[in-house]
Amino acid sequence: MAKILVVAETKNGELRKATLEIMTKARQEKLETDAVLVGSGVKGVADTLAGHGAGTVYVADDASLDIFTLAQHVAAVADAAGQAQATQVWFSVSEMSRALAPALAGRLDGCYVSDVMGIEMSGGDLTVIRPAMATKVFQKVKFSKDGVRVLTIRSGAFDVAEATPTGANVVELATPEADARAVAKEVLKEETGEIDLGEATTVVSVGRGVKGPEGVEFVRPLVEALGAAYGASRAVVDSGWMPYNAQVGQTGRVVNPDVYFAVGVSGAIQHLAGMSGSKLIVAVNKDADAPIFSVADYGIVGDLFKAVPILVEEIKKQKK
Amino acid sequence: MNILVPVKSVIDVDLNIRVKDGAVVEEGMNYVLNRWDETAVEAALQLKEADEGEVTVISVGPDKAGEALRKSLAMGADRAIHVNDPAAVGSDSFGFARILAKAAQRGSYDLIITGKQSQDTDMGGTGAIMAELLGLPAVINVIDVKVGEGGKLNVHRLADAGREVLELTLPALITSNDSLNEPRLASLRGIMAAKKKPMEVLTLADLGVDADQVGAAGSRIEVLEFMSPPERAAGQKFEGDEEETTRTVMDKLVNEAKIFA
Ligand SMILES: Cc1cc2nc3c(=O)[nH]c(=O)nc-3n(C[C@H](O)[C@H](O)[C@H](O)COP(=O)(O)OP(=O)(O)OC[C@H]3O[C@@H](n4cnc5c(N)ncnc54)[C@H](O)[C@@H]3O)c2cc1C
Ligand SMILES: Nc1ncnc2c1ncn2[C@@H]1O[C@H](COP(=O)(O)O)[C@@H](O)[C@H]1O
Repeated sequence: MAKILVVAETKNGELRKATLEIMTKARQEKLETDAVLVGSGVKGVADTLAGHGAGTVYVADDASLDIFTLAQHVAAVADAAGQAQATQVWFSVSEMSRALAPALAGRLDGCYVSDVMGIEMSGGDLTVIRPAMATKVFQKVKFSKDGVRVLTIRSGAFDVAEATPTGANVVELATPEADARAVAKEVLKEETGEIDLGEATTVVSVGRGVKGPEGVEFVRPLVEALGAAYGASRAVVDSGWMPYNAQVGQTGRVVNPDVYFAVGVSGAIQHLAGMSGSKLIVAVNKDADAPIFSVADYGIVGDLFKAVPILVEEIKKQKK
Repeated sequence: MNILVPVKSVIDVDLNIRVKDGAVVEEGMNYVLNRWDETAVEAALQLKEADEGEVTVISVGPDKAGEALRKSLAMGADRAIHVNDPAAVGSDSFGFARILAKAAQRGSYDLIITGKQSQDTDMGGTGAIMAELLGLPAVINVIDVKVGEGGKLNVHRLADAGREVLELTLPALITSNDSLNEPRLASLRGIMAAKKKPMEVLTLADLGVDADQVGAAGSRIEVLEFMSPPERAAGQKFEGDEEETTRTVMDKLVNEAKIFA
């Protein structure tokens, strides 16, 4: 029988929507599921996880776990996986899991697959669909060996079911020792806006076409009028106009919003790989041949400095 | 500082990729140095230039892997190891990590830099798995690295909330984000010099790797089939005066796509 361990992620003391999505998926598939929480001040959400179907919630909650370190997190999750006798460990895709999931697979001598977009269960085992080659192809992958299956799952792949928190069956994990060879000094917090890119239903991204940091601010009223999250192309983050974690694309965040506005973004494949799953795409670009128009549902061929204020004005009318 | 950089030749994903009968059509495809590995080589060269030591590049793969090695040597790497063994073909990240870890143990490296992921598989597993197999501390997805006090490395990692700053004691492993640097172009002189640099060719037996554990036989995952992603329906594009086109698109967003409904 499959036994799932979901590695829960929190942000500002709340569970991330991506975690609830994979909890929901496990519940829909009627899979026996536990969850693990690692961090500082994270215990409070154990009941929410229980409400979403976690049989047992393993918790390593300690001030020393405030900043992510690979060594401590791998040890805690491996401990939970062992106690839960998990046959599968599910992560949501994040910068944390990009490090933690493959390291865990190494630690558990398991099997590793990243960026899962779809799961098919058959006979207690699973087959997954994932993108490769900058999302120019999809692969259908099965696991061919024994060993714990470790997977990272893209958010937006599943919906979140309603759930009421219930008293969790909590098992406290021993706090793993820090690795003196890799000392986490600090986190330089960088936020692009109020709304998390990975969880937004509307995203506005800007590209080099905004010309500079003033251009980034010029487009911000559009972001605010839409209540959107604010993203960027690599050209923008590499120029230092926006922080690295604003980057949308193959190397950055993968977003699947209902509506994606690409403003002054050319649409290189590495950018498309991060947003082409959006339900509706609107592009503003002065070059009629820009590749972004190959994925855009609605394209405005023109100067963003003229188009954006009109968009803002019209959207404000709608929101009234 | 002696640095080992695993590099891979990958299908050029900038080209048009075709799928036929559940497989990628390889005919007519070009193989190039994985872009993230190019960044890793550049990072290694910069660290070496700031200190001293040698940069060794290693690739596991058939003859086409030579391409990645030659390019790395032309950029300035000092020596290359080519693990060329038919039994290694079809490895997954785990298999490559196992072979690379064995090869790493043959030398004495202060730092291993892998790319954050391969452009052909987009898996992003090999570096972290290799560090586990070697028992090395690892920092994944590095956007900045400098030599700090006492020979330690100051490393910035891209994290969900911003950037994580770490102090890393060597030996260690890091994986490179493409924003880490802008890789240098190989000069003609570099290309000529590369031809004279040592290239060691090894088999799995030379490394003491059990052939059952790697390659297609040892792979922990099996790609059952490749598919073309679903095509998006053709969109509508409006050219002309922005006053007009923008209001037209807004009208369509409201009344056709109903995004404010
Ligand atoms: C390994 C690798 C990974 C990468 N990962 C990513 C990634 O994750 N995300 C990412 O975004 N990129 C990534 N890239 C980079 C990518 O290839 C492109 O270089 C980048 O996306 C280009 O950014 P851009 O569209 O902003 O800039 P450009 O390509 O320079 O495009 C700017 C666009 O703005 C338009 N424009 C200019 N002025 C105006 C105006 N006044 N009004 C309207 N339009 C205007 C231009 O017509 C042009 O199309 C990666 C590259 C590599 C090699
Ligand atoms: N066959 C290989 N030969 C050398 N290095 C490799 C090989 N496969 C993977 N790597 C290294 O591991 C990184 C990540 O690989 P992957 O897990 O395939 O995404 C690459 O960027 C390379 O540095």
